[in-house]
Amino acid sequence: MNGNNPSANTAMPVPLQAVLAPVGRVAHTVAVHAGEIAILLWKVGRAYTEFRVSVREIARQVYIIGVQSIPIVIVTAGLAGIVTSQQGGYQFTGSIPLYVMGSVVTQSIVLEMGPVLTAIVLVGRVGARITAELGTMKVSEQIDALYSVGRDPIEMLAAPRILAGIIALPLLVGIANLFGILAGMYTAELTMGLGQESFFYGARLFWHSWDLLYSLLKGVAFGFVIPTIAIHMGLRTGGGAAGVGLQTTQSVMFMTLTILIVDAMFPPLFL
Amino acid sequence: MIEYKGVYKAFDEPVLSGVDLRVESGEMFALFGPSGTGKSVLLKTTLALIVPDRGDVCIDNQSVHFGGRGTLARIREKVGYVFQYAALFDSLNVFENIRMGLPEATLKRMTEKEVAHKAWEALELVNLEPRMILSKLPAELSGGMKKRVGIARAIVGRPEILLWDEPTTGLDPVNTAAVERLITQLSEELQVTSLLVTHDVEGGLEMCDRVAMLEGGRLRFCGTPEEFKNSDDPVVQAFENRAAAYAAIDVLDVR
Ligand SMILES: Nc1ncnc2c1ncn2[C@@H]1O[C@H](COP(=O)(O)OP(=O)(O)OP(=O)(O)O)[C@@H](O)[C@H]1O
Ligand SMILES: [Mg+2]
Repeated sequence: MNGNNPSANTAMPVPLQAVLAPVGRVAHTVAVHAGEIAILLWKVGRAYTEFRVSVREIARQVYIIGVQSIPIVIVTAGLAGIVTSQQGGYQFTGSIPLYVMGSVVTQSIVLEMGPVLTAIVLVGRVGARITAELGTMKVSEQIDALYSVGRDPIEMLAAPRILAGIIALPLLVGIANLFGILAGMYTAELTMGLGQESFFYGARLFWHSWDLLYSLLKGVAFGFVIPTIAIHMGLRTGGGAAGVGLQTTQSVMFMTLTILIVDAMFPPLFL
Repeated sequence: MIEYKGVYKAFDEPVLSGVDLRVESGEMFALFGPSGTGKSVLLKTTLALIVPDRGDVCIDNQSVHFGGRGTLARIREKVGYVFQYAALFDSLNVFENIRMGLPEATLKRMTEKEVAHKAWEALELVNLEPRMILSKLPAELSGGMKKRVGIARAIVGRPEILLWDEPTTGLDPVNTAAVERLITQLSEELQVTSLLVTHDVEGGLEMCDRVAMLEGGRLRFCGTPEEFKNSDDPVVQAFENRAAAYAAIDVLDVR
């Protein structure tokens, strides 16, 4: 890296190289993943257009991803409602009418907390599980074995999980919204004495009919992102049990980051 | 017929550097080679489980890697693959695992009773007691049992070609004999083409029509068992007799 290096005349100045090398590495990694995900989705799309995906398996995955997640989603959303309500109450010491709390709680739950918290919970509950499951199948050659007996893991494993995510997540977000708002409402009543009617009066005051759709649309987007990334990461696992562990951790980071990025893109795109 | 044409595959470093090999229809062919030379990789290229960087594999003159999806699907249907570590589907029980060995189209034509009969038959062929294990999960089986269930899954669909990745490694002598007899039976009675990767050189020489030695990414030897025994290549000799193997430990670059 110094002047005596024979290759230094072609190398870039050190500071520039130090900046560009990681940028290039990241760009390369992003491009590789994007390309592989595009191919995965193309194959999934093809499986659907050729009617080669089992409806029963989709239903089974909706049950696993959706129904089995309902309790944890309710608990999370409920806690989010309680926290939002209390925090709002703490900040509402001035001359703002108390019923505005109804709007604050409802809007933060529906627009942000409901979809995002549900997605984050599902990353841990469903995404990590999919990556670990497919990763184990990959390193123990079960994926190869599927191909060898003429079955397509994309059709059998990937396609049903992705559609099931797209179906289940918006429904879970709906449930999260409902329980988040209810928890917020009761908390407001208990801690500030805000009546339920005033709460709903406030909630309606700033409510746009578009808001719920926006919330569910986030659910659809996250429901697509989680299984897609989880499957992609699972299928590129290598290196035995340790590889599965590492890949699952990375997959969780990848999913979480993508969810937050997609979430940040929603306001400029849809509001 | 299986034909490897200049198969080249590198991971971090080259593993296969241009393998040419032709296994004739109905032939029993054994492939020997030191651990880690790419025998399993070569077998996997036969079903496009691994895609070579250069070269191609042809099954009955149909290209595996350039023939398109339909061709590959037909090839996978007529080729059975016995994995080195069984590779059973661990969420399915033994019966369901063997059932997966039948092509989807075949399954649609059969009643569940016929499928059960076939699975039963396949298990008996590998010297397993069907009644005892049909409903067990792979995790409940011993290593050697898993291996034989893997063989049952590969043969249940009556493939024309069988790829065996060390089918007898880790089996006791009686079961080794049973599997060897099965391989011979399949090839003699049903004219199945068998490509057998094995470390059991003695067994391989006895059973097979021709044998080859993969070493350093290439075929170091290819010929009849007689020629193998009389070869003056030290690596071949090391595989052929124990004394030469000891002599070779420090001399040869066999990883
Ligand atoms: N998916 C993979 N990714 C990276 N390297 C691989 C992969 N598969 C195989 N290799 C490498 O290729 C080489 C050959 O592996 P292979 O499993 O074919 O050996 P083998 O001849 O079957 O050995 P053994 O007799 O021990 O089974 C090894 O060095 C291995 O590290
Ligand atoms: Mg091997």
